[in-house]
Amino acid sequence: MTLFLLSVLVFAGGQLLPGDVGRSILGPLADQRAVAVLDHQLGVDRPLLAQYGDWIGHFVLGDMGMSYIYRAPVAPFIGTALVHSLKLGAVAFVIVVPLAILGGVVAALNVGRWLDRVITLTGLSATVVPEFVSGIVLILIFGVWLDVFPITATWPPDSGILTQVYYLILPSVPLVLVLFGYIARMARAGTVTALDADYTRTAVLKGLPYRTVIWRHVLRNALLPTIAVVATQAGYLIGGLVVVETLFHYQGIGGLIYAAAKSHDFPMLEAGVLTVGVIYVLAALGADLLTVRLNPRLRFGGAA
Amino acid sequence: MSDPRKTIDALRRTLGALDNDLIDELAAGRVDRRGFLRHGSMLGLSLPLLGGIASAFGVVAAPTPARAAGKPGGTIRVALTVPAGAIDPVTIADNGGLTMLLQGAEFLSVLQPDLTLKPVLAESWTHNADGSVWTFKLRSGVKFHSGGTLVADDVIASIDRLCNPKNASNALSAFKGILSPGNTKKIDDLTVEFHLDAPYGAFPYVVSSDNYNCVILPASYKGDFEHAWDGTGPFTLEKYTPKVGAAFVRNPDYWGAKALPDRTEFTFYADLQPQILALQGGQVDVIEQMQVSGGQAILNDPRFTVIREKGTGHEQVHMRCDTGPFTDKRVRRALALSLSRQKLVAGLFRNLAVVGNDSPFAPAFPMTDTSVPQRDQDIKQAKELMEAAGVGKGFAVTLTTERYIEIPDYAVLIKNFGKEIGIDITLNVESQDAYYGKAQFGQSDWLDSTLGITDYGNRGVPNVFLRAPLLSDGPWNGAHFRNKTYDTLVDQYGRSADLGGQRTLAKQIQELLLDETPIIFAYFYDYLVPVKKGLTGIPPIANRLFLDQASFA
Repeated sequence: MTLFLLSVLVFAGGQLLPGDVGRSILGPLADQRAVAVLDHQLGVDRPLLAQYGDWIGHFVLGDMGMSYIYRAPVAPFIGTALVHSLKLGAVAFVIVVPLAILGGVVAALNVGRWLDRVITLTGLSATVVPEFVSGIVLILIFGVWLDVFPITATWPPDSGILTQVYYLILPSVPLVLVLFGYIARMARAGTVTALDADYTRTAVLKGLPYRTVIWRHVLRNALLPTIAVVATQAGYLIGGLVVVETLFHYQGIGGLIYAAAKSHDFPMLEAGVLTVGVIYVLAALGADLLTVRLNPRLRFGGAA
Repeated sequence: MSDPRKTIDALRRTLGALDNDLIDELAAGRVDRRGFLRHGSMLGLSLPLLGGIASAFGVVAAPTPARAAGKPGGTIRVALTVPAGAIDPVTIADNGGLTMLLQGAEFLSVLQPDLTLKPVLAESWTHNADGSVWTFKLRSGVKFHSGGTLVADDVIASIDRLCNPKNASNALSAFKGILSPGNTKKIDDLTVEFHLDAPYGAFPYVVSSDNYNCVILPASYKGDFEHAWDGTGPFTLEKYTPKVGAAFVRNPDYWGAKALPDRTEFTFYADLQPQILALQGGQVDVIEQMQVSGGQAILNDPRFTVIREKGTGHEQVHMRCDTGPFTDKRVRRALALSLSRQKLVAGLFRNLAVVGNDSPFAPAFPMTDTSVPQRDQDIKQAKELMEAAGVGKGFAVTLTTERYIEIPDYAVLIKNFGKEIGIDITLNVESQDAYYGKAQFGQSDWLDSTLGITDYGNRGVPNVFLRAPLLSDGPWNGAHFRNKTYDTLVDQYGRSADLGGQRTLAKQIQELLLDETPIIFAYFYDYLVPVKKGLTGIPPIANRLFLDQASFA
């Protein structure tokens, strides 16, 4: 249902954009007769409902349709871009989640002290640095001057998994910077709350070792809200990376959607947005399952 | 040895009136060697013959620096703006797609840095007395990559496809009123005749690389260019991946000098910034095109050479002549006089541009009359004109334009210059889609705005600039300029195939436009192609990247 509404919204929103497909292919100075011919060839001069109905009819059968702009099937474009985006998102995720949770927990354990301030302030400052600024600075330092990382994220053909990861480290850093402060803050807040909770005091008073208190009682409770936050960022990590993809020359799904919107390539735009929509839904589902796993109170018929 | 002048006299008896007129221009010193060669080549005279005539009149070529012939081999890696869509010669309209197209396909002739036409698939061309029928001789022994031999039918099919309103042809507006489908006739296998709708002196440019859709494909072409990438060019396609890149290899069966590089590799980028980083990081050797704004880092870097291509591309500042504050031509002249063109050229282009004189006649065009006084900043006169027009206290107006390269910066500078004479300009900078809209009157900010800035790309002859944005019925006439004298002059100019006549008309057009000033032409900018130091052999042809003679020293 969510995805259906999303597809309607994208279609309707696409109609609000100025210009049309024929003109975006032929350019602003093209003869109107040529634009009309091209629009007719592509079928975009038909009534809107007919266009949408035709598209959705094929889409539910698994046919993503033909790109207006590339005049080729949409599915391979989406497939390639999605695999790219998942790889970049995974590398960034693997770096930022443990790092941010560790940072948040360390900050909470040192609440009010200088280490807490440093972590919180660094995280917040990094969050507000736009990716196009941090990206360019990183490329100039590590790619051009020090020459330790490649400046593009696109690895040579037939590269192994390690080479691919190597190419993705530099582009991941701007994402890590944006997300670190956010996730760390949630982890810190959760941990601070959990440290103050009665069950923690009970655990400490009954003489459990400090480490056990933190691992079994504090973290398990503290990280529940953090998981929800991480899940909401998964969609961003897959579909929202237009700037990083452009800067590091990477063919991801964010850039694909952006280009499709700009050029009125409706089948490509719909397929791209719905793919990202599915990722959001799956990430939320995954987070829910993980929360249930960690929180026995939510389990039905469990040993609560 | 016989007197060269006598030989010339004998030769002149064999030439037509237009050709003799050109020689008169040369003899009288009204045209320089470059202009003479350029115009003669357009009329279909061979370059050695033209060179001989010029020498006979004592007009010799400036010594050209000896250039070492490049050595074969190697791979040239190019950063290119991602092609906007499918590579299709009929619809293509963007730089990225065009660059892909011209790696493997060829034109009848190619525009050169000095705006002459170099014969490519056409060996020569001639015209009838009034310039309404043009006969092109084709090169023999040219093979398509798919194996067939180039014949007249291929040329006829290729050109007919582009001038037919039934196809979604991007060249339709360029052919409008000049050539209609079905009017290209086969004389024999290697001769075609174009029967024009009306006499048109600059016709060879309309079927040259200047009209970039005009590549010659086999007559059997069905509209699936990306399937076979057929053409006659020095490279054949190795691999093309949409949105990612392409590679080409030397065509061993090429009819002309074989390509020097073994291979060329193109990587597509969405933006200029990553292309610059890729050049700096050593991942590419060439950026197909760079603008001064955004390219500062490369201009200052000794590791790179920037090939400077003198262009005729420019931005037009139109002022609506039919409604609003600019109906009085004195007000239009006042705004034009408020601009310091030198400051614009220095500030926006680091002097990699030349000043314009409020007409499409760029200094690079040989028919431009350079004796027409250059308009310069004159605030005092501008204020007097405002006073005389009854708007001495100034007025407020909105400048609408597109977000494209340096245009937003240009808009800010115009706002500042306007303030000096009391014109309070509010800026409305839109996306290109929003600005051009439906590109029809009443549905386009470009064509409907009171004051606007529009980009115009490089052209080998000024004809398109003179017609579409300025004729009373011009489809791009955002200024809504309607002037019968102008229309008549441009009509005569279009028919005129002789340089002397064109120059006389150019002078009248230049003076009329200076007086009326419907459009401010403040500068004509250069095209810049940054390459790794040591890479030579890329000809400085604006907006057309030919790599067949490129090599590393």
